[in-house]
Amino acid sequence: MRRRKRRNNIQVPVASMGDIAFLLIIFFMVCSNFIKDTMTFKLPAHPDVEKLEQAQISVVIDEDGLIYLQGQKMEDVLAVQYGVSALIKEDRGPRGRTVLFKCDRNVDKEVFQPVMAAISEGGGIIAALGEKGKR
Amino acid sequence: MPSGKDNRRKSNREADVPVSSFSDIAFLLIIFFILVTSLSQTTGVLTEIPTGQKSEAPPEKTTIVNIHDDKISLNDEEVTVNKLRDQLVGMDLHNKSDNEKVVLLEASGSVTYQTYYDVITAISRAGGAVAVVEEE
Repeated sequence: MRRRKRRNNIQVPVASMGDIAFLLIIFFMVCSNFIKDTMTFKLPAHPDVEKLEQAQISVVIDEDGLIYLQGQKMEDVLAVQYGVSALIKEDRGPRGRTVLFKCDRNVDKEVFQPVMAAISEGGGIIAALGEKGKR
Repeated sequence: MPSGKDNRRKSNREADVPVSSFSDIAFLLIIFFILVTSLSQTTGVLTEIPTGQKSEAPPEKTTIVNIHDDKISLNDEEVTVNKLRDQLVGMDLHNKSDNEKVVLLEASGSVTYQTYYDVITAISRAGGAVAVVEEE
């Protein structure tokens, strides 16, 4: 007796593919860190930099020597010291004292040294950001 | 005899939105996001500058690093960045007491942050604590 070959029409369910894809898009959009920084600076480069954990407090000195604390422009170093001190008081956890310090590589000592001192006076541990690479 | 109007059939059209290409568009957007997103890692060096009372003179046997116009010297001997790092590592600062770990950093003249960064990275990586010398 001859057996008939069955022709199964197997269909992959693709109806929900679009939903999955859009969910993934939303996931990526939520997870992405959109750069809000408007200041321009080039970080210093050094081969010995290590991976640092993210911190809640950030101080930036841009290429024009303008100082920012948490994205807000500061008038002087005293404002940085008080600001850092106030932010640390809110969160004194193990990571709470770390201050991300981003400074343009060409900024002069007269600008960055008082800021670094102010961060320390405010109780912060400086995490000086730099890029991995040759000078 | 029925009029032409009555004779016309009601067309029962089903309007379908073409959604078959939605997933293609969505996956293209995903690929775009994956490519554009830069998974940035924060890199740098952790350094704690001691604060407290200012002292007039440094204790004896304190290591002093001086930067003058982007030239580095360690205990009055001019060194390169690599040599500074090697010499500081050779001092075995990790296993020394807190007072002996202190490295005085004096910067004078026009010093850029890049040079300063090279020095504080070398000190921190060698296990030292940076103490900044302030000019009067």
